[in-house]
Amino acid sequence: MRRKVFYWSAWILVLFCLLLTVMLFSFCAGPVDMPLKKILKVIFEGRGTSEYSILFDIRLPRIILGFAIGGALSLAGVILQGMFRNPLVEPYTLGISGGAAVGVCLNIVLGLSRGLGIISLPICGFLGAILVILLVYSLSIRKGILKIQGLLLTGVMISFISSSLIMLIMSVSHTEDLHGIVFWVMGSLEEPNWLLIKLALGIAVFGLAVSYLFCFDLNAFSLGEEEALHLGINVERTKRLLFIVASLLTGFSVSVAGIIGFVGLVVPHFIRMFVGPDHRILLISSFLCGAIFLIFCDTLARIIIAPLELPVGVITGILGGSLFIYALSKKQVSLGGK
Amino acid sequence: MRRNIILLVVLFGICAVAFYFLLKLPDNSARETGFSRYPMVHQPKRIISLGPSITKGLYLLGVQDRLIANTIYCVDPPEAKNKEKIGTVVEVSIEKVFNLKPDLVLATSLTNPKARVKLKNLGVNVVTFSTLKDFNNICKQFLELGRLVDKENEAKEIVKSAENEVISIREKVKGLHKLKVFVQMGVRPLFAATGCYFVNDYIEFAGGINIAKEAREGIYSREQILKENPDVIIITTMGMAAEEEKRIWQKYETLSAAKSGRIYIIDTDEITSPTPQSFVKTLEDFVHILHSGE
Repeated sequence: MRRKVFYWSAWILVLFCLLLTVMLFSFCAGPVDMPLKKILKVIFEGRGTSEYSILFDIRLPRIILGFAIGGALSLAGVILQGMFRNPLVEPYTLGISGGAAVGVCLNIVLGLSRGLGIISLPICGFLGAILVILLVYSLSIRKGILKIQGLLLTGVMISFISSSLIMLIMSVSHTEDLHGIVFWVMGSLEEPNWLLIKLALGIAVFGLAVSYLFCFDLNAFSLGEEEALHLGINVERTKRLLFIVASLLTGFSVSVAGIIGFVGLVVPHFIRMFVGPDHRILLISSFLCGAIFLIFCDTLARIIIAPLELPVGVITGILGGSLFIYALSKKQVSLGGK
Repeated sequence: MRRNIILLVVLFGICAVAFYFLLKLPDNSARETGFSRYPMVHQPKRIISLGPSITKGLYLLGVQDRLIANTIYCVDPPEAKNKEKIGTVVEVSIEKVFNLKPDLVLATSLTNPKARVKLKNLGVNVVTFSTLKDFNNICKQFLELGRLVDKENEAKEIVKSAENEVISIREKVKGLHKLKVFVQMGVRPLFAATGCYFVNDYIEFAGGINIAKEAREGIYSREQILKENPDVIIITTMGMAAEEEKRIWQKYETLSAAKSGRIYIIDTDEITSPTPQSFVKTLEDFVHILHSGE
């Protein structure tokens, strides 16, 4: 036990160091060239200069949002994978992101965000996410037993349906709204509103804290639902709560940053290869690793063809996918405690 | 179980407190940056254009030496290519724009709205031009552009002469036979120039009837076009796609535009980023296309 704790603390320490390095890298790199020496000078003496604004008003918010969204998405991935004991489950394959996307698109088209303020965007995203998750769940239950194959298929179908719905909304909407949706679908960590960034951060950390309360339950789930029940876990209630947490995380991430794929699927697997399937360590290290991954990808997206900017989803897809295939060929992945 | 609930309540409490402080954090967006906020600058010296038609307009007004950067789509006039590039029409590098210390950024409705808000929050003077609806709108926006860069009189003169030319062209084509015209703006999906877009004015001023005028959306069906049976089809996309599209139209034997061989391709740049002056030039092209035989 003590060795385990030591090993885990070492992992968390390593991830923390990596996180700090990536953040620093992201802070220093950008289309406007600034050598490290100059950055240090600007930080300490440069208040009020334009360089100071670039660092603290343009780069810093993106890093914070990358931390929150990356963490939230991979956390949602871990929770769902743990609950369903299925390696392919993630917010996207279950259609939760699609549901959130439809919610946000409807909001943009109906002009709710103009009437109710910017805060209505995440609320619509959350509602869409939870609607889909309930739908998927209730459709996959046969005689009180959850069918995993059915669940995944339903999820994939729902995400197809929602992407078609988005296209439908786009093709009947006015030009101005259309631009809004297109930008939003492309996915970006650029967010001018500080309130949303802070909320994203708050919800991500909140999600981590709540899901951490259930780390033993998630471990029990990996034996199977019936076994979990025998171990004295209130299965239905736990599942409901975790569902809500996962859709809150996904819905909010999607509504702020648009559609960014792959983080929720790849990161949990990757981390599981290293730290094992115990959710006590898996939850927190996935959160950190997701944050590292997204901040790194976003930095690449910003600088790779500067001054042009790539959608961050391009990088997460290419980098995440190929890294994952490489790791898979190197080592047999152990899934969900089997 | 009870322990769990207590823990949850405590956690909620902690999160609520954390949330409260998080929201109370000083809002960086409101913090004064290195720039003072310019509500309206007289004679802006450092202008950044985020749209090809705006770049063209600035050259037309003779303030190109005050234009410090534009987008990679700004290729007309050719000198505009040599200006510093800060991104595309839709996606701009906020950092780069900000670092150039512009005193006027001229954006279009295509510019990423988040980027516009962000720049405004940073204290940059951003003016957004809306989608061009018709010729009057083009003139109005050009006058506004002139006002912004302190070249009001020049702008007025250019608009005046463009308006006069448009009036004389319309006089000339008044008595001529009106042809049914379809202007195709995009290939896949098939996109039409509807009545709420300025391209409609090219058709009507040149003495044609726009068959897609009443369409609410730009996406149009091929069947509908065959039914309307336009006498002239004008395709405004570039390269291979336009040639291929032309061939597709030519296959329909019942289509009168195909029968008479009146399917034309027009350069996209010329048609979609107009100034009052280039509007007249394109209008003349349209008149030529529609009435060259008469």
